[in-house]
Amino acid sequence: MNARFARIAVLGIGCMVFVAGETYAQSKSAHPDFNGVWRPYRGGRGGDPKIAPPPASPLALKPEYAKADETRRAAEAEASKRGEPIASRAVSCVPYGMPSMMSVVSYPVEITQTAKQLTIVTEAFNEVRRVFIDKPQMPIDDVPPGFYGRSVAHWEGDTLVIDTVGIKENVRYQNIPHSDQMRITERMRLVTPDALHDQITIEDPAVLEKPYTYTLAYRREPDYEMVEFICDNNREYVDEKGGTHLRTEAK
Amino acid sequence: MNFRRLWLVVWMAMGIVAGAGTLLAHHSFAMFDTTKSMTLTGTVTKFEWTNPHAYIEIDVADGAAAKHWSVELGSPSILQQSGWKFKDLKHGDKITVRLNPLKSGEPGGLLVDATLPDGRVLGNGPGRGPAPAAAQSK
Repeated sequence: MNARFARIAVLGIGCMVFVAGETYAQSKSAHPDFNGVWRPYRGGRGGDPKIAPPPASPLALKPEYAKADETRRAAEAEASKRGEPIASRAVSCVPYGMPSMMSVVSYPVEITQTAKQLTIVTEAFNEVRRVFIDKPQMPIDDVPPGFYGRSVAHWEGDTLVIDTVGIKENVRYQNIPHSDQMRITERMRLVTPDALHDQITIEDPAVLEKPYTYTLAYRREPDYEMVEFICDNNREYVDEKGGTHLRTEAK
Repeated sequence: MNFRRLWLVVWMAMGIVAGAGTLLAHHSFAMFDTTKSMTLTGTVTKFEWTNPHAYIEIDVADGAAAKHWSVELGSPSILQQSGWKFKDLKHGDKITVRLNPLKSGEPGGLLVDATLPDGRVLGNGPGRGPAPAAAQSK
C-alpha cells in the first residue's frame, strides 16, 4: 500500500514537472502580447530614448512627383498664410485609412490579438483594420482598393511582420502621392513590455525612387477607456478652391 | 504668449523630424492667427461636446449690443486629457476665454484656455494651451 502510494506520488510529481516544463516552454515560445490601448509617443526633448521613434529615412520621390510636391507645398503655404488652408479629406470627416490612421495626433489605438488575427481600432474616426495572421497575401491587382487594403502577417521571432496592399490612390499619407502598386510593410514589436514600435516601410515603384521608412512609437495605457468619435458636428467646410473655413454662428 | 509660440515651433519641428505628417489633425490650424490672442468675457449660449470638435458659443457684451462668438475646442477625447467634462458649461454661465482669432476676421477662434464659473482654468488639450497638472502626471 505504501509502496503503491509512493509510486503514484512519484508519477504525480513527474507529471507536474512535465506540465510545468511544457508551460515554461510555451511561455518561451509564445508571441509578444500586443493586446491593449496604445498612445502615440513622439519622444522629443526630455523623452525616453529607449522608446522614442528613430528618425525617418529620407523621402525620395521620382522627379515628376517631386516637382508636383514642391508646387503643392508652395500653394499650401500661400493658402495657410491667407487663413484658408488647403483641406485634406479629413476636414470633411473622411477617415484617414492606411497608413495615416496608425498615428493621428495623440489619439490612441486599441489592439486585440488572437493567434489568427490582429484587430486595430483607432479612436480618431473609429477606424477598424484587420490583420490576418499566417494567411497568404493576394496579388496586388486582385485586392479591391480601399482605405485599409488587405493585411496579412507572420511572426519573425518577436516581430509581427504585416504586409498590406490595396490602398486607394486618394487615401493619402503625409501628403505623399502613391500608385495602386503601393505596398506597406510593418514590423511591429515590443521595445519594452509597455512600449510598441511599428516600423512602416512604403514601397511604390511608380512614385518612390526607393522605399520610405518611418517608425511610430506607442506607450501602453492600461486603464484607458477608448471614447467614441462620430463626426456629427463638423463645422469646417471647404470652398470651391479647396480652402478650409470654420462656420461660425454669428447672428 | 512667447512660450505658446515656442511650443508651436517645437511641435512643428517635431513633426518634421519624426517623419513629418505624423502629427495629423482633423484640419490645419492655419485658419487661426496663432500669433494673436484675444480675451473675451461673456455668457455661454451653448456648449457642444461633439466630434470632430467641441464648441463654446458665447454672447460677448459689445457696447449696447451683444456680439456672438463661436469658439472651437479640440475633440472630447483630447479635451478630457485637459480635465474637461461634458457638463462643465451650460447655458447662462459667465466665462472668460482666451482664443486665437480667425484670420478671416469673422467672430470665431481657437480656444487657448477658458476660466470656468468655478474658477478652474482649462486648456485645449495637451500641447495646445496650458496643460493642467492632472494631464501632465499621466
